[in-house]
Amino acid sequence: MGAYTLRRLVQGVITVWFIATATFAAMHAVPGDPLQNDKATTAAIRANLEAKYGLDRPVFPDQYLIYLKNIATLDFGISFTQQNRRVNDIIADAFPISAQLGVLAILFAAAGGILLGALTALNRNRWPDILIMFAVILGISVPSFVFAALGQLALVNLNAFFGTTVLPVAGWGEFRHMLMPALVLGLSTMAFLVRLMRSSMLEVMGTDYIRTARAKGAPGSRIFWRHALRNAVLPVVTVLGPAIAANTTGGFVVELVFAIPGLGRAFVEAVQQLDYTLIMGTTVFYGSFLVLMVILVDLVYGFIDPRVRLS
Amino acid sequence: MNPTQREPALQGSDDEDVDIILDVADLEVEFDTYGGTVHAVRDVSFRVPRGKTLGIVGESGCGKSVTVQALMGLIPMPPGRITKGSAKLSGREILGLPERELNQIRGNRIGMIFQDPMSSLNPTMRIGDQIAETLRVHRGLGTAEALRRAVELLEKARIPEAGKRARQYPFEFSGGMLQRAMIAMALACSPEILIADEPTTALDVTIQAQILELMETLQRDEGMSIILITHDLGVVARMADDVAVMYAGQIVETGTVDDVFYRGGHPYTQGLRRATPTNDPEQTQRLMPIEGSPPDLFHPPAGCGYFARCPHAMALCEHRLPPMYTLAQHARDLDHRARCWLQHPQAPDVSDVHQLRDGALT
Amino acid sequence: MNSATPGTFTAADFAPATRRPDVHGLSRPSQSYWEDAWRRLKTNARALASLWIVVGLLAFTVLGPLLWRVDPSAQNLDQVSRPPTLGASALLVQRGARWDVPVAADWPTGPTDAWLEDAARGELPAPEGLTVVGEPNTWSVRIRWEPVPNAARYEIYRNTYEPTALNELGLPLGETLTGNELGWEDALDLSEGDYWYSVTATDGLRESTRFVTVRAPVQLAVTIDAAKRSSYLDAAATPAPGDRVDLGAHPLGTDYLGRDMLARLMYGARTSLFIGILAPLLFILIGTAFGAFAGFVGGRTDALMMRFADFVVALPFLLFMILFRVASGIEAGESGIYAILIAMVVLLWPATARLVRGQILQIREEGYVQAARLLGAKDGYLILRHMIPNTLGVILVTLTFAIPSAIFTEAFLSFIGMGVAPPTPSWGSMCFEGLKSMLNSPHELFFPALFISITVLAFNLLGDGLRDALDARMRSKE
Repeated sequence: MGAYTLRRLVQGVITVWFIATATFAAMHAVPGDPLQNDKATTAAIRANLEAKYGLDRPVFPDQYLIYLKNIATLDFGISFTQQNRRVNDIIADAFPISAQLGVLAILFAAAGGILLGALTALNRNRWPDILIMFAVILGISVPSFVFAALGQLALVNLNAFFGTTVLPVAGWGEFRHMLMPALVLGLSTMAFLVRLMRSSMLEVMGTDYIRTARAKGAPGSRIFWRHALRNAVLPVVTVLGPAIAANTTGGFVVELVFAIPGLGRAFVEAVQQLDYTLIMGTTVFYGSFLVLMVILVDLVYGFIDPRVRLS
Repeated sequence: MNPTQREPALQGSDDEDVDIILDVADLEVEFDTYGGTVHAVRDVSFRVPRGKTLGIVGESGCGKSVTVQALMGLIPMPPGRITKGSAKLSGREILGLPERELNQIRGNRIGMIFQDPMSSLNPTMRIGDQIAETLRVHRGLGTAEALRRAVELLEKARIPEAGKRARQYPFEFSGGMLQRAMIAMALACSPEILIADEPTTALDVTIQAQILELMETLQRDEGMSIILITHDLGVVARMADDVAVMYAGQIVETGTVDDVFYRGGHPYTQGLRRATPTNDPEQTQRLMPIEGSPPDLFHPPAGCGYFARCPHAMALCEHRLPPMYTLAQHARDLDHRARCWLQHPQAPDVSDVHQLRDGALT
Repeated sequence: MNSATPGTFTAADFAPATRRPDVHGLSRPSQSYWEDAWRRLKTNARALASLWIVVGLLAFTVLGPLLWRVDPSAQNLDQVSRPPTLGASALLVQRGARWDVPVAADWPTGPTDAWLEDAARGELPAPEGLTVVGEPNTWSVRIRWEPVPNAARYEIYRNTYEPTALNELGLPLGETLTGNELGWEDALDLSEGDYWYSVTATDGLRESTRFVTVRAPVQLAVTIDAAKRSSYLDAAATPAPGDRVDLGAHPLGTDYLGRDMLARLMYGARTSLFIGILAPLLFILIGTAFGAFAGFVGGRTDALMMRFADFVVALPFLLFMILFRVASGIEAGESGIYAILIAMVVLLWPATARLVRGQILQIREEGYVQAARLLGAKDGYLILRHMIPNTLGVILVTLTFAIPSAIFTEAFLSFIGMGVAPPTPSWGSMCFEGLKSMLNSPHELFFPALFISITVLAFNLLGDGLRDALDARMRSKE
């Protein structure tokens, strides 16, 4: 297990290097001088930056090596557009917000996905199945920004109905700011998980060991909780890593629509203003985070599935 | 528990006096599929006396497994359904029981083991817990007590280091060990009947013998009845008291082992025998395969299911279902019966199928 | 004890049977893989309906603009955010035409001193005879009323519902200058529908609480200049104000620049479906070639190729979509469709490569391939005859599921302003534009969102149906 973890971490570091290199290559393909941006700098900062990033030196290998060294020391540099702010600080401010939102959304999606998925499988082709699967198809087919818009509209009406701010329509700060964005964010993941859980559950319910459990005379509830659920959840756990990644998709939209100062919004703004350091820093950070998440989920999977844990 | 205590009752010649544990009559099972209805089991009847072993033989797809799974209520419904028949466990009807009552029978009064032990055990649950589960469900034992009993059962199934093994997962077991664990699980509540659905098919030959021996020993100790489903005539010859031969969803011949093996009254039984290798050094006959394949059960033939492959097929076999002819009656065992027109008094004499002529088998 | 010996039999019954050779035959017809798959798909009502929706969408995109000949980029600021209509007409008005507010020259301009000094004076009554003058329209609404004795000025209010109390009079539009000015022209941000105008009188010291209300059914109007500009009228036409002009149908309404939504949705469908279908087609083709090669060659090459694919998979997809979009540097006038297309292909091929490689590895070990190899089949034959046909089903299903996610991706990128550049319409950018006016004119968001949803839904259901139809495991299970 230890060796496995180590191997995965080494692989992860190589992957992050690849992400960093691809980001570097992409950003240097952007036409124009990175410091040309009118907002960018005073002459002093420009000189400072040129020295720091070696912009006066050749792109390869000098600039590339400096870039890698900065990443290795976890220094993403200073923002081009938000003067005197280090990219590290911007990420440190924005990321916890995105993370809270993401965790809440994933919790919501996983709990809902597993329970509803199991429910549909157990009621195959009966009305709870038909009803939930209809909603799921809707959830998969409607773009997240429409859900975000509808969610906001719902909040407006809710607040108007009670004549007071029950849940704020936008912004960030308290827990109640989080609820609707997390719900919207988790919705498409949940729809995806319901489908996965349903097919997984149907497969498990058809396996020989469920037949064995029935032949033992175990009551239905026991078969569900002790035998079916645990085995059916396994494939759901394996996709949680990519699902976290998928949540960043919605994350952008939700953060934009609900005016949440998270990392997704920071990235979109950075791109719109061509803030090179911020773009590169966010991309490498997000990429590393996702790699780490996938590794973590794989390790957690090991704890659930004895076949993986013990081999 | 003690097999001898029932002995006196078994000596009567009348059916009522024989201690019949399981009595299945006229069972019919169908499955709905996209292509139509599959008549998987048609008009199947048999009885299992206490302490005896009934072997159900037949080739793949002949309905052996469906028959026993229907008895246990293990057929997924829909698409499956039992359209006819009854099954009495010690005189009490068990077909169509509500799930609650069925659960008090399954695993408690009828134990079952399956063909593939690898896939028949929950991969994410410890072996000991899976055995203990039966005891917890039916005996209401606590965790520790149930686990202690599970280890005992594993020992009884001759699994070495049972205590350590009980804490392992199925993937850490070999196939033979898993089947022992399955047997231990099935026998946890000392059931009256053990249904073994091809218990040795997935195992290699040396392990097969061990498993069969274990089943024999346990049957002797526990006094239970066994329904053994197999396509292996050798296994039947070794284990069974009575035999039912199934073909195309129907029972074509029943009787004691000797009836079926030495006085077979159905061409299919004879064909099966000739296709089976024996370890008899005297035997020099070539193995004879049965040509062709069984009929499609989407549209079971109106006449005899074996018509298309039968070397003795007669004109009436094609359209008229042969009745069950009783060739010999037994007090304690299944009567020797065969579903074949050759047993009709007017049928021509044939050399390789035993026929009832003038009250005796030729 | 014989269970049955029905009837009597003749010797012929027991004669050896004459067996027809077909009795061995299976009673089910034998079907090829694709025949069977097609038959299963046809029995799946949802998948079949989806197939028709997809056909309909393609027709909408390709044939639609031929039938609905409205310029999707023609702006019309007189018809901004109009709800769906099948043929509206509007009143023609002259631009800059002013109304001379009626003034009663023989009436005093204000209250008498006596009135103002009377400590016991009551409230002024509400004006009488409040009427709408002419045809109220979106350019102007004109009202007039009879004078009130001792009025210094009149206050005019407007609301969108009929007021029943003083606090419901609504928007205060203004007040007249004198007590003998007896009319008001309202041109303040009018839209079609009913308005209620209320007038109160004031003696200069205190406004009366008594009011009078009149309903003005406001209809759409365009100026003659604008009508000519938008070619509702011939340039040579000389219509009089008050004539009506046909505005043409907007079955799905207009957007915030007065452009026809239906035409824009048709052209937007080109963008969305172009990216949505071509990108998956390309990356699945590349992925298949890559995966098939890796799987077939195996060994170190395979390991290296798949490691590379793993790296590409690890790139955070949307961030890199955006990065590539920025890096490709779209010039003015370009739509940026190709930049999105290429970025998608570059980032998304590995999933297919992995899938196909797995399939090829599996098929390579199958008995029939081994048998073919033993019989001396060449590699090319093996690939063409065994491997591709047996992976085709999986690839087809992947394609069907890749299309909706590609459509989503394009919509998402356009939504955050990183997609196709305006004015090129795409469903995603139309949603983005519609979102801004969601509360007032929901149709601007609703229709593009509906089209995205239906398309994605249809491809998803079709994919489900195809998967079920092609899944060989299901064939034996059912």
